[in-house]
Amino acid sequence: MNLVNAMKRVAALLGILALPANPAWADSIASKVEELGKMKYLNVSSLKTVNRNGLLNIQAEITNDSASNQQLFYRFKWFDGNGFEVGGEEPWKPLTIYGKQRQNITTVAPMPQATDFRLVLQSPDNETTSPSSW
Amino acid sequence: MNPTSVIRIKSISALLVAMSGSLLTTGCASTGSPIVGSGPVTYGDAKAVESVTNEFGSTDLQTMAEAMTRSLIQSAVIARGNRPLITIAEVKNKTSEYIDTRSITDSIRAQMLKSGSVRFAVDTHAMQNQTDELIRQNQTGLYKKGTAKKIGGMEGADYRIEGNIASIVKLGSSVKDVYYKFSLMLVNVETGVIEWADEKDIRKTSSR
Repeated sequence: MNLVNAMKRVAALLGILALPANPAWADSIASKVEELGKMKYLNVSSLKTVNRNGLLNIQAEITNDSASNQQLFYRFKWFDGNGFEVGGEEPWKPLTIYGKQRQNITTVAPMPQATDFRLVLQSPDNETTSPSSW
Repeated sequence: MNPTSVIRIKSISALLVAMSGSLLTTGCASTGSPIVGSGPVTYGDAKAVESVTNEFGSTDLQTMAEAMTRSLIQSAVIARGNRPLITIAEVKNKTSEYIDTRSITDSIRAQMLKSGSVRFAVDTHAMQNQTDELIRQNQTGLYKKGTAKKIGGMEGADYRIEGNIASIVKLGSSVKDVYYKFSLMLVNVETGVIEWADEKDIRKTSSR
């Protein structure tokens, strides 16, 4: 039991979801997060999922590395077992993250059919390598 | 010639082909879009964060409805899975501005129905249509006996949703701060017991 916990902790440190029971969840944070560009000051420091009453619950921790407040826009996309988007389009949600703050985003799937998700993140300070630069 | 230089030459030639292709296409006319008229109208993202003014807006409506729905489907009486019958009572607007609260509850109802975890009974606003239809089918003599839906078969709701939306507005010399609080509760119709309640608050600040 202690060995399992230790492995989970190591997996969490490596940025792997701490839920290896279901192979579908043995994915990295990066595979569940869609950043529009690359966030300069914010990062997803942990991502947890659990199934409660047949609904997928998610908790994502966003860390602000800078000392100044950062604006974040986010929404979730939900997918059924066949990879089709379900539940309709979510509204973009604004969130202010204070300097050096760790802020949790928690949500629950809109319906039991939603078994997979993507967290879409946009910050006004997102960086991108524009195609014109090369 | 070593293999890496072959790859490099291949990628450079591919790049040249791509560049010449783009040069060719810029020379041609662009394809016509399926648009009528050339007015200053653009269609935007209906789910975008709206920050035009400080008043109650589409983002507030959408986020309130979503937050309440997600909380409601986790409530004990709904998570039980026996698809209770719910009706929507009034959501009072206690703010200083005009807000169509029915529009919020309509969104909640639509999302709740999509989740498949509840059923909804017609509310008081839809009752006129419901009774009109039943009366027409049963009293006009126009309908076949077997197909006319019987009067007295409507199902009463197990629970009702009601609530209110309140606001606090503060005006400083250079800032306007608006705080909205949307409270909702699920009441057992037979017993009067409040089975679930939740709040969603939103703060909007603008300089003026």
